[in-house]
Amino acid sequence: MKTALMGASGFVGSRMVEMFHLGGAGEVRPIVRSFGALARLARFDLDWRLADAADEAALAKAFEGCETVVHSVYGHFDIVEGSIAPSYRAACRAGVKRMVYLSTASVHGQAPASGTDETSALSDRQPTDYNNRKVRAERLLLGERGRGATEIVIIRPGIVFGPRDRWNSGSANDLLHGTAVLVGGGAGICNTIYVDNLVHAIRLALAAPGADREAFLVGDREAITWADLYHRVAVALGVPPDEIHDVAPPEFRRTLRDRADHIRSHKAAQAVLPYIPGRLKRMAKAALAAWPEQRRGSPWALPGPPAPVVTREMADLHQCPAKLPWEKARRILGYEPPVTLDEGLRRTFGWLAFAGCPTVPAA
Amino acid sequence: MKPSHSVRIALVGCGAISELYYAPALAALRSGSAEVSAVFDPDADRAAKLARLLPGAGVTTDFAEVLGRRPDLAIVASPPRFHAQQTIALLEAGIGVLCEKPMAVTVAEADAMIAAAARSPGPLAIGLFRRFFPVNRTIRDIVRGQHLGVVKRFEISEGGPFQWPAQSPSFFQKSGSHGGVLADPGVHVLIWWFGVPESIRYEDDAMGGLEANCRIELGFPGGIAGTVRLSRDTQLPNRTVIECERGWLRCKAVAADRLELGFPGSDHAFGGELVCVGPAGANSLRPLAADTYDHSFMRQLMNVIAAVRGTESVFIPPAEGAPSVRVIEQCYRQRGLMPMPWLDPAESVRARALAAEGTSP
Repeated sequence: MKTALMGASGFVGSRMVEMFHLGGAGEVRPIVRSFGALARLARFDLDWRLADAADEAALAKAFEGCETVVHSVYGHFDIVEGSIAPSYRAACRAGVKRMVYLSTASVHGQAPASGTDETSALSDRQPTDYNNRKVRAERLLLGERGRGATEIVIIRPGIVFGPRDRWNSGSANDLLHGTAVLVGGGAGICNTIYVDNLVHAIRLALAAPGADREAFLVGDREAITWADLYHRVAVALGVPPDEIHDVAPPEFRRTLRDRADHIRSHKAAQAVLPYIPGRLKRMAKAALAAWPEQRRGSPWALPGPPAPVVTREMADLHQCPAKLPWEKARRILGYEPPVTLDEGLRRTFGWLAFAGCPTVPAA
Repeated sequence: MKPSHSVRIALVGCGAISELYYAPALAALRSGSAEVSAVFDPDADRAAKLARLLPGAGVTTDFAEVLGRRPDLAIVASPPRFHAQQTIALLEAGIGVLCEKPMAVTVAEADAMIAAAARSPGPLAIGLFRRFFPVNRTIRDIVRGQHLGVVKRFEISEGGPFQWPAQSPSFFQKSGSHGGVLADPGVHVLIWWFGVPESIRYEDDAMGGLEANCRIELGFPGGIAGTVRLSRDTQLPNRTVIECERGWLRCKAVAADRLELGFPGSDHAFGGELVCVGPAGANSLRPLAADTYDHSFMRQLMNVIAAVRGTESVFIPPAEGAPSVRVIEQCYRQRGLMPMPWLDPAESVRARALAAEGTSP
């Protein structure tokens, strides 16, 4: 089975290419939007194609000869929704049997309530714009499915970690710089999924019967809190875990920049923006960037280590009360996570060392 | 050529380096000192695009026409596999050449270029413009003068996710490029401060394709040893650290005018912008800001124009560019596979097999 992979140069995509190519799971055809995106993939001798995720004609040509497509595109927020119709219609034109769409468990919010599962209602009025766009992208895709022959399967992973991830490299960076922070003691559940487990789920979803039009939450077998996860990363880096800041859940006020981003993301604003001269847009952007969001400190205050920054997303995640279930994926896809959380972390720390992070060898 | 004459330049190859570096640098040259008379690329659209940035330049898709126009200087910015062939043809026509890095794909090609330069009235300069960086020249002076004692160890890392707006896939195909990350930024960092390496141990992550990561252990005369880590894949610290007997030096990969200097046992170190004091040294009354990244690129261009006029010698002649080609060739000859601890055992076996297939002739 030949699978076209959109977003092949990203974190999940590049590991999927490795697993397919080295593990013999099937033939993969990376689809990238620029030549530069081939840098990581070029380690292998692969049959790649160039196509923008919003260009239906180019995608249809790139999908030719592939039975399945994986949509794992991560990019500017516009592409989250903007890539859905072109990629689905291209898949139909190319005679693709099934498309697996990589969504996110965040469609249920950063801190979903206990009992949340795939049947829970989704909202596109969440505080995090990315979540709203993913909710709308899923709806768009289901709408397209009603008009096309290519089957669709939606995968909703939680916090995906592994080589080249943003979570561990981000928290490692914060730990090394003394800015790592847990909100409310980090007692919330981190709904992890090691990237190999996610790729395993995608592989199952490409072929499992009875999965068309279905969405599946997927995760690791084990539950871990954010505090435990940070502790493990800190130990791997040789950073004393007690250096991790702990803050009470803050109250978030929307900054001027937040408001501007919100207005900019609105459909009406998107329609008007192309008619505003670029120079004016650049001036507005520069003015916003220069706008002081926080008061300056006293010149008499001694400099200390940089203060940790708590984002709304982080605060919500760190207070997540629920371990999301993957029972439906087990039942229909046959999903069982093949890699334990411990092993996933061990491999991820190995990658951190590969990437030049000062890690401590495991005892 | 009289020093007052305007130097006529041909730009050979219209990829991203020409668009982002040479075109703005050439456009910024003082009017009357140089003019771009011809722009060549086999892709007519790319050549026309560059010509629009360089008013007065004629467009050609035929390399023979460049030779026929007899410019005073040609900038060879084609893919590396064409460097030797085009440079030698230009030198044999008596035309001076600034050849982009890497100067050649093989040592044999580099040697042929050196021989052609020796026979030609035109100068040959190699585009290793980071050697114009004030920080790199300062490190060279400190190391060679042993101002901090002898060098004990060095560690160099450079790279991150690939950002260069490549205009063709040739960077990433074995048919278009002789190497990956080592053959690209590797030529900048291999390692002119310390001389010619005596020992090399090299590993990368090519598994049937071109490497995105590599690691080199190098030993130099006098017991100097260290590592170079390069990546087109993951964000590296991007810094150079040189530990000497009586102090250490540290700089960022592309910060042309900044250097940190520290001493063992001291809580504090010097860190900041370099200034150009000239021969007056401490008595300089008006130190100037040292050249930046962009300025260093301009210095290279101005140096080769002055060399064409006969008023300066070439700062980076081919004999200076050839050692890095030699080191790269040696690295590829003895390549091993980097340990990738995230691969499972079966994947590792397959990775080793693919790497071995890729290395075999």
